[in-house]
Amino acid sequence: MRTQRKFQIWACALLIFGLMSCATLEQQIDAISPVKVSDAEAAVKVGKTLRDSFADINEEEEYYIGRAVSALILSKYSVYNNKALTQYINTVGQAVVVHSDRPEIYAGYHFLILDTNEVNALAAPGGFVFITKGLLKRCKDEEVIAAILAHEVGHVAAKHGLQSIKKSRLVDAFTIIGQEATQRYGPQELAQLTSIFEDVLADIVENLIERGYDRKYEYEADKLGVKVSANTGFNPTGLVDFLQTMVDDYAGQSGKGWFKTHPSAKDRMDRVQKQIQGLKSIPEVQSVRTSRFKGAIQSLK
Amino acid sequence: MKNSSRMNTLLVCVFIVLVTVLIAETLMVKVQTTHLRKEPKFYASTIAMLKAGEVVEKISAANGWYQVRTTTGIVGWLHSSAVQTGKFDLAAMDKPLTTKATADEIALAGKGFNKKVEENYKSKHSEANFAGVDRMLKIKVSQSQLLKFLKDGKLGIYGGRP
Repeated sequence: MRTQRKFQIWACALLIFGLMSCATLEQQIDAISPVKVSDAEAAVKVGKTLRDSFADINEEEEYYIGRAVSALILSKYSVYNNKALTQYINTVGQAVVVHSDRPEIYAGYHFLILDTNEVNALAAPGGFVFITKGLLKRCKDEEVIAAILAHEVGHVAAKHGLQSIKKSRLVDAFTIIGQEATQRYGPQELAQLTSIFEDVLADIVENLIERGYDRKYEYEADKLGVKVSANTGFNPTGLVDFLQTMVDDYAGQSGKGWFKTHPSAKDRMDRVQKQIQGLKSIPEVQSVRTSRFKGAIQSLK
Repeated sequence: MKNSSRMNTLLVCVFIVLVTVLIAETLMVKVQTTHLRKEPKFYASTIAMLKAGEVVEKISAANGWYQVRTTTGIVGWLHSSAVQTGKFDLAAMDKPLTTKATADEIALAGKGFNKKVEENYKSKHSEANFAGVDRMLKIKVSQSQLLKFLKDGKLGIYGGRP
């Protein structure tokens, strides 16, 4: 009799738990069950309701967009072939990456030197970062390189490149992707999607090379540059010194590279300076870092 | 009496299993590959490599890291930027990806801007230097090179940073 009562209590507990779990289960079953959409209309609904902004671009798509943007950058600029210096830049880059807000990205971060005396640095979505020989020549030590790379990593982490894409293109793309959710791409859909892909790349490349990002994105990347380089242990004051050289040279270089695509260096310098003053502690410049920077950079021609 | 005790044990077990399956939070790897680390920091040694689409069970969270258990029972730490949270089928963790992803994810798997779109784009844009991008992707900095760099330069934990 007692056993039967215990059994009843347990059965009740399980039943209550089961009922309580029903809603969760229903959601989970809905989420894990194989695709039930059987017609294009339903699939379009799935695609549309699922994604509608740059934030919905997944890691893999960001990678493929970044690859193509980088392929276009590399069609405009030659690569500076200096294995040791490239490896050094990548090591400084990885040091700041692991101390950033988004250290993991689909295929990791990669850094490349462009063979031009134009002063510029570019970050494509997906972690492809480019720095020019002209900019490297302006860097006096490792602290400056680190702050600039941290600024570029900040652009990637905050998805500024993806935010350059016009929303209408994404809506069109997500609709096509949704429509074709239950079947393979047909040649027509692939052509449509490729056409949107071309426009997406044009939006990003225009901002990266021609127009520059919106000021607010540059200020945000500066903030991240200071924060992340300081978190890594670099002295971010180097960024102020670098910006000072840009202020001094602004008249002569106006209209090219960085000068064309970035807001006033003076304005940025003031903001960076204020941010540094607000840091809890400012790491000291270490001579060992300056020495290895000089060793790495001496081969730069 | 013995039967009653057995029945109780059995019911407790069923209850625990149900609670575990329904309450356990799961995460899916969203980057190509990631390191499962011994401790919640990038300096820690790697105990396993995980690939995109692999689902793990979340055990706890600390400072941007998740302590997780893999399908093979290995416990370690993943950085939060390497995974996406969501409802993934824990019971199907050892089955192929197509059975453990959500319906929406299945609907979109392999869709969007992907290799196929890139190939189509490439065929019309010979000026785009994808070979250069592939060479860029081959540049690697090993864990030991990075640690030496940080240590020599008194950076990160070697410079008293967190």
